Amino acid sequence: MSRLSAGGLIDRQRPLSFTFDGKAYSGFEGDTLASALVANDVRLVGRSFKYHRARGILTAGSEEPNALVTLRTGAHAEPNTRATTVSLFDGLEASSQNRWPSLRYDLLAVNQLASPIFVAGFYYKTFMWPAKFWEKVYEPLIRRAAGLGKLSMLPDPSEYDREHAFCDLLVIGGGAAGLAAALTAGRAGLRVMLADEDARPGGRLLSERQEIDSMSAVQWVAQVLAELASLPNVRVLSRTGVFGVYDDEYVAVERVSDHLVAPLPGQPRQRLWKIVSRRAILATGAIERPLVFGGNDLPGVMTASAVSTYVNRYAAVPGQRAVVFTASDSGWSTARDLAAAGASVVLVDHREDEPALAAELRTRGVEILSGAIVTDVHGVPVRKVDVRLADGSRRTLRADLVAMGGGWNPAIGLGSNMGAKPVWSESQQTFLLDETPPGLVPAGAAAGRFSLAQALVDGAAKGTDAVADATGRAVPPPSFRAADEAASTAPLWHVPGARTKCFVDFQNDVTASDVQLAAREGFVSIEHMKRYTTLGMATDQGKTSQLNGHALLAAATDRTIGAAGTIMSRAPYQPVAIGVLAGHHREESFRPVRRTASHDWAAEQGATFVDAGQWKRAQWFSRPGEASWLETVNREVTMTRRGVGICDVSTLGKIDVHGPDAALLLDRLYINMFSTLAVGKARYGVMLREDGIVMDDGTTTRFAEDSFFVTTTTVNAARVMQHIDYARQVLWPELDVQATSVTEQWATYAVAGPRSREMLQAAFPDLDVSNDALPFMGAAKFRWQGFEARIYRLSFSGELAYEVSVPATLGDKLVRHLFAAGRSYDAVPYGTEALGVMRIEKGHAAGNELNGQTTAADLGMGRMMSKKKDFIGRAMAARRGLADPSRPALVGLRPVDRTRHLRGGGHLLAPGAAPLPQNDEGFVTSAAWSPTLDHSIALGLLVNGAQRHGERIVIHDPVRGGDIQAEVCNPIFVDPEGVRVRA
Amino acid sequence: MRIPCPYCGERDSQEFVYRGDASPRRPEGEDGFYDYVYLRDNVIGEMAEHWYHAQGCRNWITVLRHTRTHRIAAATLSRETPA
Amino acid sequence: MPEHLTIQERDDIALASVMARKSMSAAKIGTALGMSLLDRPAACGSGAVTFIGTGPGTWLAFHDGTAPDFAADLTHRLAGLASVSDQSSGYVVLRLAGEGARKLLQRGAAIDFHSASFSSGSVATTVIAHIGVVIRQVDDGPTYDLATFRSFAGSLREWIDHAAAALAF
Repeated sequence: MSRLSAGGLIDRQRPLSFTFDGKAYSGFEGDTLASALVANDVRLVGRSFKYHRARGILTAGSEEPNALVTLRTGAHAEPNTRATTVSLFDGLEASSQNRWPSLRYDLLAVNQLASPIFVAGFYYKTFMWPAKFWEKVYEPLIRRAAGLGKLSMLPDPSEYDREHAFCDLLVIGGGAAGLAAALTAGRAGLRVMLADEDARPGGRLLSERQEIDSMSAVQWVAQVLAELASLPNVRVLSRTGVFGVYDDEYVAVERVSDHLVAPLPGQPRQRLWKIVSRRAILATGAIERPLVFGGNDLPGVMTASAVSTYVNRYAAVPGQRAVVFTASDSGWSTARDLAAAGASVVLVDHREDEPALAAELRTRGVEILSGAIVTDVHGVPVRKVDVRLADGSRRTLRADLVAMGGGWNPAIGLGSNMGAKPVWSESQQTFLLDETPPGLVPAGAAAGRFSLAQALVDGAAKGTDAVADATGRAVPPPSFRAADEAASTAPLWHVPGARTKCFVDFQNDVTASDVQLAAREGFVSIEHMKRYTTLGMATDQGKTSQLNGHALLAAATDRTIGAAGTIMSRAPYQPVAIGVLAGHHREESFRPVRRTASHDWAAEQGATFVDAGQWKRAQWFSRPGEASWLETVNREVTMTRRGVGICDVSTLGKIDVHGPDAALLLDRLYINMFSTLAVGKARYGVMLREDGIVMDDGTTTRFAEDSFFVTTTTVNAARVMQHIDYARQVLWPELDVQATSVTEQWATYAVAGPRSREMLQAAFPDLDVSNDALPFMGAAKFRWQGFEARIYRLSFSGELAYEVSVPATLGDKLVRHLFAAGRSYDAVPYGTEALGVMRIEKGHAAGNELNGQTTAADLGMGRMMSKKKDFIGRAMAARRGLADPSRPALVGLRPVDRTRHLRGGGHLLAPGAAPLPQNDEGFVTSAAWSPTLDHSIALGLLVNGAQRHGERIVIHDPVRGGDIQAEVCNPIFVDPEGVRVRA
Repeated sequence: MRIPCPYCGERDSQEFVYRGDASPRRPEGEDGFYDYVYLRDNVIGEMAEHWYHAQGCRNWITVLRHTRTHRIAAATLSRETPA
Repeated sequence: MPEHLTIQERDDIALASVMARKSMSAAKIGTALGMSLLDRPAACGSGAVTFIGTGPGTWLAFHDGTAPDFAADLTHRLAGLASVSDQSSGYVVLRLAGEGARKLLQRGAAIDFHSASFSSGSVATTVIAHIGVVIRQVDDGPTYDLATFRSFAGSLREWIDHAAAALAF
């Protein structure tokens, strides 16, 4: 065990048990899975993506590229979870990934032997020939060999929540700078939110041995958090990572119960936060760079700051014989931490000058090699370290741990989400944010202020700036006493003389020679090098690899790093579960479901429902003994045409258009006249888009001089409402007209068939529904159950028919009442299928014909277009191409062989014509079996269709069953004179 | 993105439906419809746009928005804003 | 309790949408009704009747107690001033009360419900879980009325139940 007997921010009173790859271990409350593995001397945690190299834990933070495990089992199993971010809980189960049969003996490690082939861009150079091998041989092989974790393939059973937050200042990151900023702004009364991704705020203060205001940094953090908790205007969210910056908002994921064995009842697993804040401070700290030397990916090689974190925060020492290889002052602190924990340490720094810490290190027995570099590391896990000294001689050290300190990259990824390009700082030797998204400023290490004192000052200053910006007040920033410790780096971008592979991107197995190869092959742009080598494209988005890669590319192409440039980070900054983005909206709750007033009644009747937009509509009502839906639908059609059928048509859009200029507006919206419509009458109308194409159709009824009731198709209700509002608010604001959606106010039922009049008379004895009182296309209001009701004599079925409307709260009552009255007339409920069959029998255009490509003339309604007024679409409908009479026009089709079934979609060809695009004369738009005619019928669009009734045509349908000979005919198959509807 | 609806106040852009450039005017006579329906300038810069507050006050608003930075300079009710 | 929440459907009301005609100000309409009416997202009340602003020159009028002729009465009183449509069946109105109600709405809508930004009499027409809602704060309880188109009520209720279960966390 590498656990120290004392120290660390772990609770030794709360031991925890967990398993990794089936083996049992123990840790403590406060451990991460990674720290517990370190404490248990588990060196090997995974196999790398391409080469299947043995890998250990590289870091102690969310930038971790190697220690990807599958956490939990069953439906909750989550692959590619970074062990460094998992709070240990009792009973935790985790397993390593990308290895078979086991982590120790991974057969796919043979990939390493083929490594000369697997260089950058190998996908583009290999597996190309022969072409037919790709699908059956290469792709399955690659698929099996590549990849990291595996999904459980079971639905995610977790609950996800969402919240919206509004504040004056969002502080991203709760380290020294973030806490200083939040405290400053919170004390000044601003609404402040502080989001920190860790289990507890404090950032690096929890991992280093610093002092602030004469107390330990850890104590200082506790004190600040207590004060922030006491301020009602401040909200601190732990375990909450901001993953994206968008226009005017920041989005974060709060891991509400990921650290528990299981969530409490009702407790979500995670919560999505959408935070609207005018101002934000990016106090996300900095990420330590690895150094690029041979074998730098072997288990036992870690970043120096990670080693300090394990020793100080988790009281777990990752090794007993350590080599600290550093280009940065911070590496010297790690050497001190290791020595204090009882490890023997050799410090290798390529710089000649020694920082002040050298004296203390020597008294602790640390051997210091200045002006030296590590060229190669060997052993799985690490056993030997090759060093080249200042004088050029070589030494091999025995070691079980290599801590590398390459310098620091401000964690500015979020700052470039909105396109701000980071700028190279020659003095800091790193990229900084220059231009930032509006309202966002970096602070502390994220702004290149690497010492503790600087971070505190900078955080407080940004806090006061926020206060001044928000309130106009100047508040004095609080001051904190802390060390302005040495924090400089002389970057060593690549170690010369390495004999083994030097890794740059650990997760995607990209080496220094891959970058150099890319440059040689001409991929000299940063963006090309990224895609060609895949450097920075793994789940860690290159947090530990990007700058090293760019420096190598710059060197290989003889440019400065500033000139070579860098990549902008993309949201999400950390991987995000799709479930948390979906929240409530999944499976049945994916989108709202709208039900009509007769829904429950229809369900009682055993209706089968279908989706019509967001609505559930009854599709048909099966009766016992019916063998198929076709039999059911045929019965519904037949019984309606012979007697009376009732259908819920409530889903159609309904709009009240009122006002002195209502008639004038409708004249401008419809192709036909509505100002001439008499009170108490309804008229069918067609609306065009401004480009002359048909947009929608429906019947509009005039109830008064200044009162119209407009209906639309179900799916276009919202579109037409928007269109009417556009016309009256934008095009013609001088008109005095008002429009309101009343779709939901009215439940409407179609009552159709030769017996419909008698049935309705029986249902409404006080209402006169005689032909004189209610002629075809007439409408009337009446009272039912004390409320206003309406009846319209309209027909979509082509039979004598009516539509009855009542307020929707009475809709259930009405449907039951209608069927009670209808019993003596054998009234049958019919659904959308029968509705569709009947309208096809009558040649009525519907959605398939109103397909966004057809004009009124195409649909046989050209003569409806008024010449006496302007209307939307008039001018453009007159364009030569749209007014051409030989355009495909609406026709009826019936099969020559009456037993054949026509299908929508088949294309129309002249008999004998080859099936080539130049011979295409149109297509079938709608098809149905007509029980009325006892054969299949269809509607279609045929070139010059109106002139070709009686002709033979071929319906070409190679995908489904071949060609069918058909006759072109009048699209009105049943009662073409329209006698029944006027009965 | 948040849009400052003149009636409702600042709201998430998901409440709105975007239509496009607000500057073309519907011609009074026969000519100019082709340009009105199809031709648009491709602007990098501030543009007057029509947005419909579909899930709010159901009013059309004219928004002055920078197409690159997305910064909104102003928003007025379209009925009160001659094009 | 921060999660305290009660939900009740208000089915004993009448509703109507009222849209001002051209040049008819809120003041003029208010005078005809005998109340002070504002043209903004706020609730203006007079006894059993409350007008809530849902758009410029547009209100959703509430009447406490079922009244089959509410819309007809308004049409008559506002003849020439405004267009009126019955919406008594068009909306389902839910009354939410308790501190949990504020939290629930904050989880559902991208609007600031902090008492400094949204208080008694405040109104917002917005969207929760892809469903259009009209929200009015009734009092400092806080109590809210949440109106939604009838056909969406089932799905909204589903969201409310789901979100309410998570209020304690």
